[in-house]
Amino acid sequence: MANKLIDIVNVSKSYGDNLVLDELNLYIRENEFLTLLGPSGCGKTTLLRILGGFESCDSGHIIFDGKNINNVPPNKRQLNTVFQKYALFSHMSIAENIAFGLKIKGKSKAYINDKIRYALKLVNLDGYENRTPDSLSGGQQQRIAIARAIVNEPKVLLLDEPLGALDLKLRQDMQYELIRLKNELGITFIYVTHDQEEALTMSDTIVVMNQGYIQQIGTPEDIYNEPENAFVADFIGESNILPAVMVEDKLVKILGVNFPCVDVGFGKNKPVDAVIRPEDIDLVKPEEGLLEGVVTHLIFKGVHYEMEVSANNFDWLVHSTDMVPVGTTVGIKVDPFDIQIMKKPESEDEEAVPVEE
Amino acid sequence: MIKNTLQKIYLGLIFILLYAPIITLVVLSFNNSKTRAKWGGFTGKWYVALFQNEQIMNALYTTLIIALLSALIATLIGTAAAIGIQAMRKRVRTAMMAVTNIPMLNADIVTGISLMLLFIAFRFSLGFATILMAHITFNIPYVILSVMPKLKQTNRRTYEAALDLGASPIYAFFKVVFPDILPGVFSGFLLAFTMSLDDFVITHFTKGPGVDTLSTKIYSEVRKGIKPEMYALSTLLFVSVLILLILVNVSPSSKEGSTRKYVSKKSKAARFVFRRLVPAVMAIVIIAGGFFYGSKRSVSGDNQVIVYNWGEYLDPEVITIFEEETGISVVYEEYETNEIMYPKVQSGAIAYDVVCPSDYMIQRMIENDLLAEINFDHIPNIKNIGTQYMEQSRQFDAENKYSVPYCWGTVGILYNKKMVEEPIDSWSVLWDETYKDNILMQDSVRDAFAVALKYLGYSLNSTDLDELEAAKALLIEQKPLVQAYVIDQVRDKMIGNEAAIGVIYSGEAIYTQLENPDLEYVIPKEGSNVWIDSWVIPKNAKHKENAEAFINFLCRPDIAKMNFDYITYSTPNIEARKLIEDPAIRNSTIAFPDASELERCETFQFLGDENDVLYNELWREIKSK
Repeated sequence: MANKLIDIVNVSKSYGDNLVLDELNLYIRENEFLTLLGPSGCGKTTLLRILGGFESCDSGHIIFDGKNINNVPPNKRQLNTVFQKYALFSHMSIAENIAFGLKIKGKSKAYINDKIRYALKLVNLDGYENRTPDSLSGGQQQRIAIARAIVNEPKVLLLDEPLGALDLKLRQDMQYELIRLKNELGITFIYVTHDQEEALTMSDTIVVMNQGYIQQIGTPEDIYNEPENAFVADFIGESNILPAVMVEDKLVKILGVNFPCVDVGFGKNKPVDAVIRPEDIDLVKPEEGLLEGVVTHLIFKGVHYEMEVSANNFDWLVHSTDMVPVGTTVGIKVDPFDIQIMKKPESEDEEAVPVEE
Repeated sequence: MIKNTLQKIYLGLIFILLYAPIITLVVLSFNNSKTRAKWGGFTGKWYVALFQNEQIMNALYTTLIIALLSALIATLIGTAAAIGIQAMRKRVRTAMMAVTNIPMLNADIVTGISLMLLFIAFRFSLGFATILMAHITFNIPYVILSVMPKLKQTNRRTYEAALDLGASPIYAFFKVVFPDILPGVFSGFLLAFTMSLDDFVITHFTKGPGVDTLSTKIYSEVRKGIKPEMYALSTLLFVSVLILLILVNVSPSSKEGSTRKYVSKKSKAARFVFRRLVPAVMAIVIIAGGFFYGSKRSVSGDNQVIVYNWGEYLDPEVITIFEEETGISVVYEEYETNEIMYPKVQSGAIAYDVVCPSDYMIQRMIENDLLAEINFDHIPNIKNIGTQYMEQSRQFDAENKYSVPYCWGTVGILYNKKMVEEPIDSWSVLWDETYKDNILMQDSVRDAFAVALKYLGYSLNSTDLDELEAAKALLIEQKPLVQAYVIDQVRDKMIGNEAAIGVIYSGEAIYTQLENPDLEYVIPKEGSNVWIDSWVIPKNAKHKENAEAFINFLCRPDIAKMNFDYITYSTPNIEARKLIEDPAIRNSTIAFPDASELERCETFQFLGDENDVLYNELWREIKSK
């Protein structure tokens, strides 16, 4: 694995009484695509702005390439940012926008022109040199903002919800574009988003944050399949989170029914949360299931059907490619390895908060 | 269809209402006749005269340099302040904005007076610098007001993006933020420029002797009637503003028209103009102006005399001769009424050396111990002043210690021989039903009451309540007959045959007769007001001997005659009168009535504040009836 490029050590930050980051520790490796994921107000943008140098942290250190850069102003940092609303310079042409950083560095005209052409090609906007930012679509502007940042050959590119303002189709296109860019350029991307799908698609590593704390760090697969707490489970994808009791190793009691599972080491008769993904629930004949319920809602979603099944006073969310009509009595069955057991949050800070997104 | 026509008519009406006054002004600036009432043919001579008139050109230059400098400095300070305020937390920002808005809502007169008091308190001598400071002060809020919205619109992230790309904060500001707020800065500058150009009140209070802007200059001419050169100047100003507005409004429409896809050549040219040409021109003008002022100011050493006189009340040539003969430089300032002059002298903000108030005001100044006794040993030319005028002066300067008569005149009736049957010799004609709607009365308290009191046989300085009530009743009775209560329009209306009879000052009468030979002036047999404007020396004068030399100079017959020719108000200088070439004027009974006629006349006296209030109260009752 590559070296640590950025090390964030015990960083805290608060605005007035509002603690935004609390003793946060995180490292980022070279050539990594790291995503900070979380609901609005979780501190992810603040962390990015501290990295960019636009905010200073109250305590802790930012170590970049082995050096403390706490007091280095933004214009002296070897990283570039792509802003949420692009922040293009509207009174300059596209070429002037891209050349901005290079001119400051005193590069030659020929070098700058080469770079402009190269960068525009990279973002698939050849021939746009003399256009004005206002005449470009949102997606095009975003690509220019990226081009403007990468011509400076930063070691790290910070992206603050860069696709937030784009429509769905464009967003998906841009996701592939960003992955391609990252692979071609070989630089580190630190990406901030509240969109879990975006995070899962692009990242090497996802950092899930909430209320100034890191909830979980891991690969997209880890985060999705093995959420460490109810917040992560709820935030990433859709899931059924159920209060449960760990009867013993490999046996959990959910809604009064014993389910075999694969988790061990929680102790005996300990209250826990059980997470079951909707696509992991099998609807079978009533007599074959561990639980019996009635289908109450049915929606066609394209790839699958979304259903709600009422069983033991709980509305189970179920995804299935097979349609079961409303009113049908069904049995619910879950494979042991599809049940994810999580500890109950101990402090209020760790408590999962309802998320709108 | 009808609705459409109506809309157009309505629009047309609004335009007429808005622009009729300006069109009138433009037309008058080409009028060959000096009076507003008559069209004397087309001429461009006022434009030529304008550029030859050193005083007006000086005032214009002062106005422009102050407007430009104050707008420029206010723009710098205001923009910096706006940036600072924008960066504050919301609550502090709101408070700051409120604080900066107050001076705009504040009445100009309050701002003016408080600035004057501040300057005096810190012993700044009032002059060019104080006007400039005052203008910068009141301009700053306007700049902040127009820059703030632009700052709010700009995306803070663009500034951060520039920093992020390696720009230093200053470079980022000028490269990225400034172009975004430039329209706001520019409109702030223009707003400040026009506010400064327009300002009268604040300038009036903060200016010193010898410095005039156009507005104060024009206002000081009110008493003698505004010169047609001023119409020409106003026309030129209007046209320049019009051109400027057209330029400002035309260029952005082509720039921001729907979708601007490519960076055009034209906008590059515009950029060149804005970034290089405009600042360069400004810099040259300001530096040149600075040198000009520096050279001009350095001439006036301490051997000077500061003169405070009515507008248009001295031949400028006389000043030149005085300076050449004596080596004393004259700092000259003008006022428009006694009431404006008085507080300026009283406050002591400026130590004037010679002032020229009217009779009743001299009395008031003596009572308030504002005047110095004149050393008549230094004024041998006093012998040229007729003894009867020194005698008249005793009504307000009992021992002839404080004042030297300069101009005088009477109040009487001007009538049109063709519109009136028999010669007029009494105030009674003003109550004659035959002339209903053909009578012009003076629109000022003392003048109106003087007519009624004299008609009734009382003193025009009466403070007797019964006499005043009787006068009031008489004036109310007269109201239906009066065409209009006016001040200086009597002149123009009588020349234009718009009325048959008017109450007028004798000095104006001579001039109206030259324009319209049908007019005749008479001092009614019941008696009237005689007024005298005299030179006095304020107690705080710093150059008393120079002041006496100046007064003595003005009493020289040839000089007094020059001033008589220029002002056309009667001179008390007997020797000067003998020098008048035209026998018709030399022997004019209007300019020089018989001593017997003067015996029936009184000067106004200062009646005290209480009686002032009483007169004003009665006058209000008359006017509101």
